[in-house]
Amino acid sequence: MKWAIAAAVALSLTGTLGAHRLDEYLQATILSIENDHVEGSLRLVPGVAVASLVLDSIDANRDGILSESECRAYAARVLRDMSLSIDGERLSPRLISVEASTIRQMRDGSGEIRIDFRADLPPGGMRRTLALENGHQKGISVYLMNSLVPRDRTIQIVAQRRNENQSAYEVEYTQSGDARASSRTIGFASIFRLGMRHIAEGADHLLFLLTLLLPAPLIAFGCRWSVAGSAQQSLVRILRVVTAFTIGHSITLALAGLGLVRVPSRPIEVLIAVSILVSAVHAIRPLFPGREDRIAASFGLIHGLAFASTISELGFGRWERVMTILAFNLGIETMQLVVVAATLPSLLLLSRTRQYDFLRIGGGVFAGVAATGWILERVAGATSFVDVIVNRMRESAVWIAGILFLAGLGSFVMKKFERPGEEGSAGPLMRPPEGQTAL
Amino acid sequence: MKKTIFKVAGLFCAVAAAAWAETGTEKMVAAANQFLTTLSAQQRQSVLFAFDDDKQRQRWSNFPIAMVPRGGISLKDMNATQRSAAMALLAAALSPQGLEKVEQIMEGDEVNQKNESSRPPGSGPPGGAPGGPGGKGFPPPGNQGPPPMGNGGGPPGLRGGLMFGKDLYYFSILGKPSLKDPWMLQFGGHHLALNITIAGERGVLTPTLTGAQPALFTSGGKIIRPLGKESDKALLLLNSLDAEQKKRAILSYHLADLVLGPGQDGKTIQPEGLKASEMNERQRAMLIDVIGEWAGIIHESAAVARMAEIKAGLDDTWFAWSGPVTAEPGKNITAYYRIQGPNLVIEYAPQTLGGDPGLHVHTMYRDPTNDYGRKLTVKSQ
Repeated sequence: MKWAIAAAVALSLTGTLGAHRLDEYLQATILSIENDHVEGSLRLVPGVAVASLVLDSIDANRDGILSESECRAYAARVLRDMSLSIDGERLSPRLISVEASTIRQMRDGSGEIRIDFRADLPPGGMRRTLALENGHQKGISVYLMNSLVPRDRTIQIVAQRRNENQSAYEVEYTQSGDARASSRTIGFASIFRLGMRHIAEGADHLLFLLTLLLPAPLIAFGCRWSVAGSAQQSLVRILRVVTAFTIGHSITLALAGLGLVRVPSRPIEVLIAVSILVSAVHAIRPLFPGREDRIAASFGLIHGLAFASTISELGFGRWERVMTILAFNLGIETMQLVVVAATLPSLLLLSRTRQYDFLRIGGGVFAGVAATGWILERVAGATSFVDVIVNRMRESAVWIAGILFLAGLGSFVMKKFERPGEEGSAGPLMRPPEGQTAL
Repeated sequence: MKKTIFKVAGLFCAVAAAAWAETGTEKMVAAANQFLTTLSAQQRQSVLFAFDDDKQRQRWSNFPIAMVPRGGISLKDMNATQRSAAMALLAAALSPQGLEKVEQIMEGDEVNQKNESSRPPGSGPPGGAPGGPGGKGFPPPGNQGPPPMGNGGGPPGLRGGLMFGKDLYYFSILGKPSLKDPWMLQFGGHHLALNITIAGERGVLTPTLTGAQPALFTSGGKIIRPLGKESDKALLLLNSLDAEQKKRAILSYHLADLVLGPGQDGKTIQPEGLKASEMNERQRAMLIDVIGEWAGIIHESAAVARMAEIKAGLDDTWFAWSGPVTAEPGKNITAYYRIQGPNLVIEYAPQTLGGDPGLHVHTMYRDPTNDYGRKLTVKSQ
């Protein structure tokens, strides 16, 4: 009888007919995210070729039986080999249960070990990232990593990322702290935040807006930028540009978000880079002086299409889509206002100084280079370092804005002091063309 | 006057036709009762289970029956009369194309059996009929649900049992075949698990597993691919996508196996890939055509209702692909794909167990909201 068993096992080892997992250790994890904790279910299925290796490491006393304590010790080891973290903070998963098939089932590839674990989640922000890396038996394993659709409807998964063999997995989700609120308002709030983030983290939209604002306080004189108008005029011009951009992107966001317009995103991405390039050139030399608002509106149409592709990935139904568009757009506008509010004083102050030319031309050149890089990247698939550099700048945006503001304040104050004696030597650049009152 | 006679005659014919045309459920109940009458009392006892026997419901797998024993009785345990009654029941439960698919999967296992027996003596130990009557006593198989702890006794005396063959497929009936009350028919073995729940006029096929190894073989001079349409139609859909759609549909990571295989009832994972709302009408029609390869296994009236349900949720149905985007003409794809909707999960997973992954395929067809027809039967229980 023993020989018959051995023959059957040998057959399953050598035969091409083996219907079972053969030479890998399958490790399949399904996470279940709750409000204050995460549960994981891990299925471990050793293939025939690796079963001995795996079993030897479980059956510590080699008695051919997987005792409960051996299984628990093994499960603890598996959990130690995993790294689970929330927003970069390491979690320590606790073992809930472990169950294993018989050694015989596992030797012929039809058995499995199931480990359930749980980890408490510390309170955190509205948008969180849960990361799991499985380093157990790396050399012989294949992995599957997934999350269940959260039972708690206040939690919504917005993105999942994995490496090629799924040993590393990240799930990004939005979560409302108030579980009593209705799911619609929560969805609304998280989409609103998504809109804000989209501007704050979407380097190209931000760069476009800032580049367009650079010459906005100025008045073109022929083919060059001349002096700033009055503070009020500058302010009005800036607000008109921002409003025009908003109207433009709102229109296409609504159309594309509702599915009335469908445009592939590749050409849109390219056009956005082109829009940055055009505004960069415009910041250096006026291309369309006095018509910034119209240009901003038409470029807004393009940017709106890109915004729409972000929310189309969120997978909402038709009615919810209207609310999604509204929430998302409000988020975008809010963040846009924050950006404008943060840069407006510096723009108004600096644009009244000679040094503003450096900022305007320097900014224009930077935006132009970045835009060219993006165009190459998006058309030819070439890789450039634009994203890295621009993102590095974006991360220190608060500092840059602060320095600009101080510089603006400084040069403005200096100019005030210089003013009585040097009124006449302000140069042609500083002369108001139509006798406009300076600030 | 003549016209009136024709009208009356026509009406009469219509009524007669309607009376004669049996519904899908009626045909199945009649065939099931016919099958049961051909069985001995002992066989009947083996084949019948309580409708709410969750253990028997979940006793299905992709594995050969020697590794994961099934409940019920196999075609091998039946005489010719019983076998033809059993196959008539299967024919009543399935559509013609569904039946063909199932028969090809079984035929593929026959190929395995022949290859096995042509091996040198000693490599395939001959054994008695596996299982046989008394299948209720089997321990739960290891591949599904929480397996038994420790070494609590594997399948007794099955190691020397037969692995493959087209008669090693098992029938079981849960509950009493009825036009009104819910009941279930299960049919399965290696690479096959049909779980058919009947509740009145409704018929539910989820969860169902189909698989094939070899997924391409020659029989009677013809090349057979039991799951060939699943492969070809999905590839056709993938090829119809534009670059942008493909970017969304094609996942960046490798999938080595089914995510929601046996033992994963009722789970809904976060969907991924390209949404059907982002597809044009032609692509949506192709997607429906792919889904039809599973939804259309069951008999026609049940399939029609199911397709309507799937079409209603089509906007929220996702298509995701992982692996090579081409296949040799006439061969199977070697890529994994998944179709997931509000009440649908389809997975197609080639098995990379050495050799050509296109020759060994597992597929899963689920409705996580309606395992074993729970949505229809919970009220009536």
